[in-house]
Amino acid sequence: MFPKECRYAETHEWARPEKEANIVTVGITGFAVEQLGDIVYLELPKVGAKVQKGSSLGMVESVKATSELYAPVSGEVAEVNSDISNNLEIFKSDPYGKAWLLKIKASDKKELDSLMDAETYEKQLEGH
Amino acid sequence: MGELRRTVFYEKHLKLGAKMVEFGGWEMPIQYPTGIVQEHLATRKGAGLFDVSHMGRFILKGTDTLPFLQHVLSNNAAALEVGQSQYTIISNESGGAIDDAYLYRFVKDEYLLVVNASNRQKDWDYFQKTAKDFPQMQMTDRTEELAMMSLQGPQSKNILSELLDSGQLPEPMRNALSIATVKGKKVFIGRTGYTGEPICFELFINREDAPAVWDLLIEKGATPVGLGARDTLRLEAALPLYGHEFGTDPEGKEIPVFTCQLAKFAVSFSPLKNNFVGKDALSRQFEAFKQIKKNDFSLIQDLPRIIMPVAVTGKGIARAGNKVFKDGKLAGYVTSGTMVPYWKWSEQSLTGQPTDQKDLRSICLAILESTLHSGDKLEIEIRNQKTEALVVPYHLRSGAPPYARPIICAQLPAGQAKAAVDGNTPRKVFSLLEKTVENTRWRQHECFNLIPSEQTESLMTRMLSIMDPAGRYAEHKSMKAFSEAEVFYYQGTDFIAEVEKLLEEELRLYLGCRDIETRLISGQMANATVFSAMVDYLNINNRKAEQRRIARVLNHHIMRGGHLSAQPMGALRDFVARDPVTERPAVVNFPVLPDNPYMIDVEACKKIIAEYKPELIIFGKSLILHREPIAEIRKFIDEASLGCIVMYDMAHVLGLVGPHFQQPFIEGADIVTGSTHKTFFGTQRGVVAANYEPQDFKWPLWEAVRRRTFPGSVSNHHLGTMLGLLMATYEMNYFKDQFQPQVIANAKAFAKALKEQGLDVAGDPAYGYTETHQVLLNVGYGKGPEMAKRLEESNIIVNYQAGPAEESFTASGSLRMGVAEMARFGMVEEDFNYLAELIHAVIARGKNVQQRVINYRKRFLNMQYCFSEHDFSKAMRKLYRLI
Repeated sequence: MFPKECRYAETHEWARPEKEANIVTVGITGFAVEQLGDIVYLELPKVGAKVQKGSSLGMVESVKATSELYAPVSGEVAEVNSDISNNLEIFKSDPYGKAWLLKIKASDKKELDSLMDAETYEKQLEGH
Repeated sequence: MGELRRTVFYEKHLKLGAKMVEFGGWEMPIQYPTGIVQEHLATRKGAGLFDVSHMGRFILKGTDTLPFLQHVLSNNAAALEVGQSQYTIISNESGGAIDDAYLYRFVKDEYLLVVNASNRQKDWDYFQKTAKDFPQMQMTDRTEELAMMSLQGPQSKNILSELLDSGQLPEPMRNALSIATVKGKKVFIGRTGYTGEPICFELFINREDAPAVWDLLIEKGATPVGLGARDTLRLEAALPLYGHEFGTDPEGKEIPVFTCQLAKFAVSFSPLKNNFVGKDALSRQFEAFKQIKKNDFSLIQDLPRIIMPVAVTGKGIARAGNKVFKDGKLAGYVTSGTMVPYWKWSEQSLTGQPTDQKDLRSICLAILESTLHSGDKLEIEIRNQKTEALVVPYHLRSGAPPYARPIICAQLPAGQAKAAVDGNTPRKVFSLLEKTVENTRWRQHECFNLIPSEQTESLMTRMLSIMDPAGRYAEHKSMKAFSEAEVFYYQGTDFIAEVEKLLEEELRLYLGCRDIETRLISGQMANATVFSAMVDYLNINNRKAEQRRIARVLNHHIMRGGHLSAQPMGALRDFVARDPVTERPAVVNFPVLPDNPYMIDVEACKKIIAEYKPELIIFGKSLILHREPIAEIRKFIDEASLGCIVMYDMAHVLGLVGPHFQQPFIEGADIVTGSTHKTFFGTQRGVVAANYEPQDFKWPLWEAVRRRTFPGSVSNHHLGTMLGLLMATYEMNYFKDQFQPQVIANAKAFAKALKEQGLDVAGDPAYGYTETHQVLLNVGYGKGPEMAKRLEESNIIVNYQAGPAEESFTASGSLRMGVAEMARFGMVEEDFNYLAELIHAVIARGKNVQQRVINYRKRFLNMQYCFSEHDFSKAMRKLYRLI
């Protein structure tokens, strides 16, 4: 159900290590999208911002709810998805592809290991 | 969470895949898989269907019901006629709201009160306590037995009307009610709603019958909408939600009722309400509200804050509880806010349509210092950051059905730029002259002019209108000191004095009456003068006190073709009294026949006259297909010895006075007014006529008409067009026996030809569809403006007209046409066949026939029913040289 290439935070972000050295793409999981409902607003960090694992990156807001976005790994923001604000419906159809939010140049790739794999994340959700 | 209640539609929501949440003790759908954004948008473009059965429904009956409702509710329940509803507040003694509610009167002796789900128990307990003082009242909670659905959006009328197998939809007016059946099941329908959509219905059905009707509505295309979109829709419409805009504010203080600006519609201080709950506190708030609206803050302590719509102009979403600052100081709080979707519009105009493109905007309602107003810049604190915002007058407008239209205030056009110095006036003059030539050629030589109120004057009439008395003054009045002789204030007036006398003579001849007033310069002015004269006459022995207004008027409602001047929104406004029971202008409307809305139902009319005893009856319409029943009503009034003044505003049909149409004074009218530039092909002026003699006891009414004309309405009575009018009146008297029957024959032939083309001609075929110069064509709900525009592009000029089923002119479904101007250019019956063909090509086949129209017009360029300038060529040449 959840892409195997990604790792998952308890706070429902996904992190995907890319081929380029130390680049990790970050987004929110299909579960988060389903919980939030129609996403209507995003607050994302600026390129160059330094982030710590677990710190707040910004906000994802739906009509009814606001949800903080947390950094799954530490590092520097290398790229932010500039197209997504004009195309918010894409969260429903492609949350792990076109709905990526930002790319972090990770300072310590080993932090990914402390995140859940797809199977563990799925099991954990059954409690919800 | 205790045991949650479920509505009768619960299973349907589950089956549709809805996300269910707790609301007010009920398990309700917050959204369906479609999502809040799409559900909101579907309502604005199509039709949204809402399960609102969680709201409380109480039935009240018994002789103490009205006093009870007057006591516990803020609005005037006595003003509710059968078939009407009203917004109301359940007030408390301190001027706050226990709940906001809607009161419905579907049948005579029963009232239905709908309250918020979250307050149902609280409201019930409060009512039960108070009801002890009103023993002859029985109140039942029918929340379970009676289900409630809401159907809202531009397509909702089509969807619902197709499902009715008996009964009608309510009148196309907010708060109107009706009872009908769907598949044999009784449905109570109200034109009410909580979305801001002008086309809106709320349906009450027995529990067992409700699910089947839900299914039918979905089948017909309604989109199920959950509470999430219900909230975004009402926010966009700036409608209050209990717990946010009523109840307690984010600081925990009770919100005074008038804080919400809709209170002025929900609160009444009618003497019929005696001492209702909260009256004193609400009175103080209302006084403060009135002063604040005049920028006077002396009573601000009674209404320190007002809820206003606010648009977030910076980035971010404002949500309930966020602090609002003005110039760095705390000014209030957001009460409701979120990101709301809207359709982008093709253009801001009558023919604009919603596109397929959408966008989102961050909007909110905020409770703010009463000193603030529209245009004020604010800052909203969103997660410790200040974001720019702007107080706006509204987020949405419902005044142009069939759509509710989002207004992005930050995008409103800026005011006019300051005029720059431009030294090129000669160029402007040249351009003006050229454009006038172009317009005249187009309109006079290339178009078929079918607007029923328009006409072209003869050459001689136009010539005389611009000769010397134009620009001069000839004020005069009759003086008793000179045995009623007219005394003129200025010199050089002998010519025009004679002209005016001759004009009066010719009009006396034409109308068959004794008294004529010709100094008015429009039909609406003539009507306003008569209304003013009535008030003057009613107060003739009462000059020292406040002048009383006309106690009750009987007229044609504008929705049924009544003229603007006879409406409270028109000239009548300042002359008709307020009805203390309904708290509205004391006007009652002519009833019409069920199968012909263009004809008065005379029997029903007699009943209304007997019940209401109007002081003034105004016959006459601007959408007129039939004779008015003057004689029958006159007979009835005289037999019943009622002292009504019968006025016939002939407006359009003044030129048809005679044996071919109506002779108002023979039929019993007291007063006739008219426009002298429609079927009566004169200059643009107005006229008032009557038949009183100096010894009649109503003679002072005529004297009042003279006085309210001058000095009441005019100083300068436009002498040029008065001279032109004399010429036109000579023409009218000379040619009427040929002109009048030709006009009516043309209209009937035109109607027949359009019908034979397969178009939907309004009116009764038994009368040939019309008895006047007008022909009405139905083109489909809301299609009027578009069709009229298309016809104009083909050089056929008509006007879009709202019919009895339409809410307002923006939703017009008909085209109104008149044949009088083209009759003057020589068109006869057969000539309308080709014209009908051309109109059919435009309307039914979307063609542009401009060139064919231009060619056809070439046959009708010579004006008839006037004197030829060739017969008077010497005098005409002298006139040309004198200009």
